[in-house]
Amino acid sequence: MQSENELALTRRSLLKTAALLGGSLTLSSCEHLVSRVTEHMGETIPDHVSVSTSPEIDPTFHLLSRAAYGAWPGDIERVRNMGAAAWIEEQLKPETIDDGACRMRAGRFESVHLDPGTSFEFKKPVLKEELVRHTLLQSVYSKKQLLQVMCEFWTDHLNIDINKGDCIYMKGSDDRLVIRKHALGNFRDLIRASATSPAMLVYLDGNQNKKAKPEDVPNENYGRELLELHTLGVNGGYSQKDVYEAARCLTGWRVKDKWERGKVYFDPEMHDKGEKCVLGQTIPAGGGEKDLEQLVDIVCKHPSTARHIATKMVRRFVSESPPTRLVDEISQIFIATKGDIKPMVRAILLSQEFKDSSGQKIKRPFQYIVTCLRSLGADTYAHQELVQYLVRMGQGPFQYPTPDGYPDEAKPWLGTLLWRWNFALALVTNKVPSVNVSVEKLAKAIYPNAESEVSPAQLMPHFVGRLASEHEIKTFQKYVSRSNSKDLKLPELVGLILSSPAFQRC
Amino acid sequence: MSKVGRRSFLKQLTFGTEKAAPNNGKVLVCIFLRGGADTLNMFVPYADHDYYKQRPTIAIPAPNKSRPNAEASVKLNDLYALHPRLKSLLPIFKSERLAVIQSVGSDNPTGSHFDTQDQIEHGEAYGKIIGGGWIGRHLRAQSSIHQTPLSAVSIGTSVCESLSGAPSVSALDSINEVQLKAVPSESTAIVGALASLYGAEVGLLSQPGRDTIQLLSKVQHLHSDPYIPENGAHYGDDQLSKGLKEIARLVKANVGLQVACIDFGGWDTHFFQGSSEGLQADNITQLGKALTAFDADMIKYHSKVTTIVMTEFGRRTYENGSLGTDHGQGSAMIIIGGGVHGGKVYGEWTGITDQETDLLGPSGLRVKHDYRAVLAEVLTGMLNSRDTDKVFPGFKPSPIGFAPSAKLL
Repeated sequence: MQSENELALTRRSLLKTAALLGGSLTLSSCEHLVSRVTEHMGETIPDHVSVSTSPEIDPTFHLLSRAAYGAWPGDIERVRNMGAAAWIEEQLKPETIDDGACRMRAGRFESVHLDPGTSFEFKKPVLKEELVRHTLLQSVYSKKQLLQVMCEFWTDHLNIDINKGDCIYMKGSDDRLVIRKHALGNFRDLIRASATSPAMLVYLDGNQNKKAKPEDVPNENYGRELLELHTLGVNGGYSQKDVYEAARCLTGWRVKDKWERGKVYFDPEMHDKGEKCVLGQTIPAGGGEKDLEQLVDIVCKHPSTARHIATKMVRRFVSESPPTRLVDEISQIFIATKGDIKPMVRAILLSQEFKDSSGQKIKRPFQYIVTCLRSLGADTYAHQELVQYLVRMGQGPFQYPTPDGYPDEAKPWLGTLLWRWNFALALVTNKVPSVNVSVEKLAKAIYPNAESEVSPAQLMPHFVGRLASEHEIKTFQKYVSRSNSKDLKLPELVGLILSSPAFQRC
Repeated sequence: MSKVGRRSFLKQLTFGTEKAAPNNGKVLVCIFLRGGADTLNMFVPYADHDYYKQRPTIAIPAPNKSRPNAEASVKLNDLYALHPRLKSLLPIFKSERLAVIQSVGSDNPTGSHFDTQDQIEHGEAYGKIIGGGWIGRHLRAQSSIHQTPLSAVSIGTSVCESLSGAPSVSALDSINEVQLKAVPSESTAIVGALASLYGAEVGLLSQPGRDTIQLLSKVQHLHSDPYIPENGAHYGDDQLSKGLKEIARLVKANVGLQVACIDFGGWDTHFFQGSSEGLQADNITQLGKALTAFDADMIKYHSKVTTIVMTEFGRRTYENGSLGTDHGQGSAMIIIGGGVHGGKVYGEWTGITDQETDLLGPSGLRVKHDYRAVLAEVLTGMLNSRDTDKVFPGFKPSPIGFAPSAKLL
């Protein structure tokens, strides 16, 4: 019944909107229709939005800042009502979450659903644009927020630069079949899938790693990064000989470049058939393509891998200086569950260390832009103008050149403040083409009974999860009193909040 | 106090500390080739037969010995020749402003780009954490020079690690981008409010916030002047050329620039790196052209500007099964500047080492000069620094000789 009602509403609003269509310069007519439909599916600013009344960051706000890309207007109430633990459980089962509204925006890019072979029929810029927009739109609109956050985490961990060679043709399927498929699954499955993902084989030259002639020396590129970045970590206790032996195990995996282009296969004639020894374990001669399975088992079972992955996850969710107790706990879970990702995420989000860490991290540009859009309930289709802001801040999705992925630390991103300020001010004044926000509607939802215009200090809690400090209030007052403009505009004031140090933190 | 003495003392007060600066307007430009550049194919040891034996496909032909599709290298001396795409550097080498230092490297055993880059940018020995970057510590040690956000500039979107810990630093692509655009009528009020908000910060955001606000006001007057390079310098459209052009502009604008860092990526040539033509040659072409344009444009500033070109490690001496090279150790560094004792390749040629011993670790050229010895010599010889013990604590550099020895006061 519910869905029929929804449909009826949808059709009515479609007709209504169709009649109203006309003058918009920024969104296409199709996009206008989608916006109206998704509005009815709940993707809008609710009539009433409650904000924190505490000087400390609200715990629900904190949870949504880290396990999601911030709160969409109304999310705080919903999570508070169901309880944080129940929300985490819901998010850990993304397959049970209805994401229809998000699909209407992000699901329409044909190329992200293709296998690598078919994607060769597209032009590179089209593939790049669709993949980036797909990711950005899902991060903004998906109700499976934790899944999106984990996808960003693994995308960094198993970084592939779509600007290298032919990677763009294959990154779409890597995103779907490696990252998204296993983001909340099992770590060994993730690494196994990545090891023969055509995009990874091309990006780290695994495709070129062969022993066809006796004098052929292996190409160590992927083997090294598998140990150094993907599993054990640089100080994980492997030697240069282990890198060499791992590379030998991996010889012979190819990506077809003519017939069935983009398909991965194993060529026994290119494989090093001799005995190998990795991390003290012997891989007998003649193992053929099974060498890869054994290698993945050896590196995923190594205790350094548990610690390396636990440290990275705690760093992402909790702190740049990962608390030892929590890292210990998470590596124990990794070992006990053989790399089951869900219990690790759950334990981190429920830990005391997580609760104690609010406001201590700095948002990276991607997170900054997405939280700006979500906190304002923005209407966007992530056209190039929006993507360009990300690129200028140095975090265009899938565009980090080296295999270590975008840095998780705050420091490298601290030079982007000016660009954040420019983005925030352009966003709130509706000067980012193809993005619409309504600051007035949001202010009205937060203070439905306000008689005069609300002040930035009153809006601050919605964006930073706590009351404005005395210094912030004074600054805003001073700004209001010395501003040139006679009638003060709310948007600029919100732009100031989004530019403030408090909103850079999470 | 004598009359003259007092006058100069007063003058010093009036003009602030900049006049008393010991570095005298010197500028350091640091170009980092990310990915482990194969410098063996840039400064070709053509007189060593082993080089050709180990690189049957990718070696660069000796001078005057071009092969089909492989242009010959350009002779520097009896051992070395330039990659043909670096030909434009030959006049700079001959006029003795360019020195090459062979067999430079670190003691990092991991073979990891990231670990080695970090170590080098931090100016550390392996595993001995000091804190901050080497240029950051150098700038901290210049306490008598007033630091502004344009004292240290990182070209690009992020501040490079070697500048970490600098008193003040900016990341920028181009000077023209440095402005608040969205609401021009409100700009002053907004900047005032941001200055107040970031001024009250105590954490990580505090300094970058203040630096950004200062930067906004400092570059305002530069926006209106179009930049015209001098001396027929022709910059390309690539990132390195564009970056060096911005650096040249900052040098000439006299805004207190002391250090500029710029990255040039894409040197990790495991696969199909090519020879005189190909993937690496494309990078080399850009590097050669950019350095040449910058050197020409800086004609009036040769005595002030020193440029370093470095990478995290060199590559194996032999090619791998996919016509590329894997991670190695020693590499060559380039130093360009008016004060350099150039026209020479410094550092010992150790010969190409035996393949058998190389297979199982990051090998390649043996490291004969710790990278810090080169950097320390630049600091003392070119920038008149007397604080290299603060920049590289616990490290005793052995002189290489490409820079004049530091003047003792």
